[in-house]
Amino acid sequence: MSPSLLTAEGLSGLLFLSLVGVTLVGAVIAACAARVIRSVAGLALCFLGVAGLYYYLNSPFVALMQILIYVGAVCVTIIFAVMLAESDETKMPLKQNGLVGPLGILAGGLLAWALAALALKTDWHQAATKVNNGTVADIGQSLLTTYSMSFELISVVLFVAIIGSVVLARGGRSKS
Amino acid sequence: MKLMLFAPELLLLLGSLALFFMTTGKVGGKKARSFTLTLAIANIFLCFACLHNEGMLFFDAYKIDFFSQALKICISLGFAIVLLFSTELKGIKDEVRPEYYLFMLMSTIGLIMMVSSVELLSMFIALELSSYSLYLLVPMREDRAGLRMQMESAIKYIMFGVVATGIMLFGMSYLFGLTGTTYFSELIPAMHGLMGNPAAIVAVVMVLGGFLYKLGVFPLHFWVPDVYQGASNETTAFISSVPKIAAVAMLVRILALVTPEGKSLVTLLMVLSVCSMFYGNLVALVQTDIKRMLGFSGIAHAGYVLLGLITLQDSGYATSLYYITGYLLMNLACFLVICQVAQDGENLAIDDLSGLHQRSPLLALTLAVGMFALAGIPPFVGFMGKFMLLTGALKQGYLLLVILAAINTAISIYYYLSVVRVAYCNSPEQRPEVVVGGITKSVSLALVVIIIALGIAPNQIIQIATDVVRTIQ
Repeated sequence: MSPSLLTAEGLSGLLFLSLVGVTLVGAVIAACAARVIRSVAGLALCFLGVAGLYYYLNSPFVALMQILIYVGAVCVTIIFAVMLAESDETKMPLKQNGLVGPLGILAGGLLAWALAALALKTDWHQAATKVNNGTVADIGQSLLTTYSMSFELISVVLFVAIIGSVVLARGGRSKS
Repeated sequence: MKLMLFAPELLLLLGSLALFFMTTGKVGGKKARSFTLTLAIANIFLCFACLHNEGMLFFDAYKIDFFSQALKICISLGFAIVLLFSTELKGIKDEVRPEYYLFMLMSTIGLIMMVSSVELLSMFIALELSSYSLYLLVPMREDRAGLRMQMESAIKYIMFGVVATGIMLFGMSYLFGLTGTTYFSELIPAMHGLMGNPAAIVAVVMVLGGFLYKLGVFPLHFWVPDVYQGASNETTAFISSVPKIAAVAMLVRILALVTPEGKSLVTLLMVLSVCSMFYGNLVALVQTDIKRMLGFSGIAHAGYVLLGLITLQDSGYATSLYYITGYLLMNLACFLVICQVAQDGENLAIDDLSGLHQRSPLLALTLAVGMFALAGIPPFVGFMGKFMLLTGALKQGYLLLVILAAINTAISIYYYLSVVRVAYCNSPEQRPEVVVGGITKSVSLALVVIIIALGIAPNQIIQIATDVVRTIQ
């Protein structure tokens, strides 16, 4: 069951593992960095890894959107927020009980072990090798047919989010 | 005609568009309120007119049936009642009141669309629409004390909400991975065949998590007391009642995926139910802020609702729906009093209700009825609901659970009735009279009458609720 590294499967497996590795490392940096800006960089790395996984799974469009939206828009927005917020370059104070770290690792490890064991033991529904070409045209078609309601409803959610942020940030209509 | 199937949603969506255009101009809170109120009341009538419609919309993602239509009526009623008694929105700055009504309306639209969704993605997005609007209502409270308490509550609400949503989405991915579909019509038979599979149980539990959060069940309850305390009184009235109906409806819909073979799921729900009841009731005993107290009591009531769900039978689901509808009314009766007594929209301590029977006899009566009903004392709806939940669980052989629930009812009587004692037996001292408007008076009378009526004649309601639940199987 372990194909040689030089075959096609071996190389693609290596690619897959390295993408998973990038995602994990990014996530660890995002969670553990002492400075917010480094966390954001870790988050961007994590998103890039996920985008790579999408590409690996034959969804180039989703991969590009992941880069465009998450790595591009979301991370930049967070960086803006960090820059605009008062930040006195001090490290985050870490006043915790000494037990928090080990217990957290224990709980996280148990959860990860349980989910991994579950995933390995379960007989998953056979994934379609290829649903369609994953082109923009296909995606557009299913967005406007099968998923039309979700598609329209998302725009309403975005509308609420925009109005909400304006209302909260400006604190009323009198201040201009 | 297809248009009539979607009529209530369409009315609310168009109305929200109109309200949005109103907010872009200089509209005061009064106009926005009367517009929203008209819309809400028109929507109730429309929902009744559409009660017996049936059909599928949006490529089978959206199902109109008796289940969805009956729940739409409950949600619309709750929305209208909150609007009716929140005459002045004292805790919110006048400048942002139009937007406040807009978000409340949007949240209702989300809930109404959620109960009709029979596809996981639509359900999730409808839930998000409702949640986002609720997240926004909390920090809109005016910051009088300068403590930014409402911001802290809002952040807690969002953070815990995002975690619950994440868990739910993860569960949905499992459901999709196991069955290869997101449509309930295909999920139900596929999942029934997979009940021996631990992954199926884990998936259902995770999806349930998103709605257990809305309901405030034990391990996902952390937001409840802080949000209740930090949000303005009217916001709390809305958050604590209307979304919970939709949450129970969705729990029922998701539990249709489970057969009695899924014993571990039932055990888990039993544990959650007992923990919620004990935690909620014991912590509520020591509260001095009445909204916090009602928050913890809400956690306990969520535990009671689970008693009906663990039977995994239509009759149990029907009782749960009956109970949560009753809870909506009892809870709104209490919040109506809170909103009226809090003259400036401040948080009320229980002592602030002292001598309410002299300051406003009608409010004191409403409060007493609400509290008696929450405590589960006959002849109010809370008693009948608890009684049927307990007998239903007993028939299934959950004797220990029933005993624990009965103990909890006894514990809860103490703190509910001590509020009534404060309102009736303490002297008002320097506290001013409470002036109650005509509409609020009639709303509170109507609530009292309905709470008693539902308690005296539960059979018809249970019959309707059973029919409602049958339609989703």
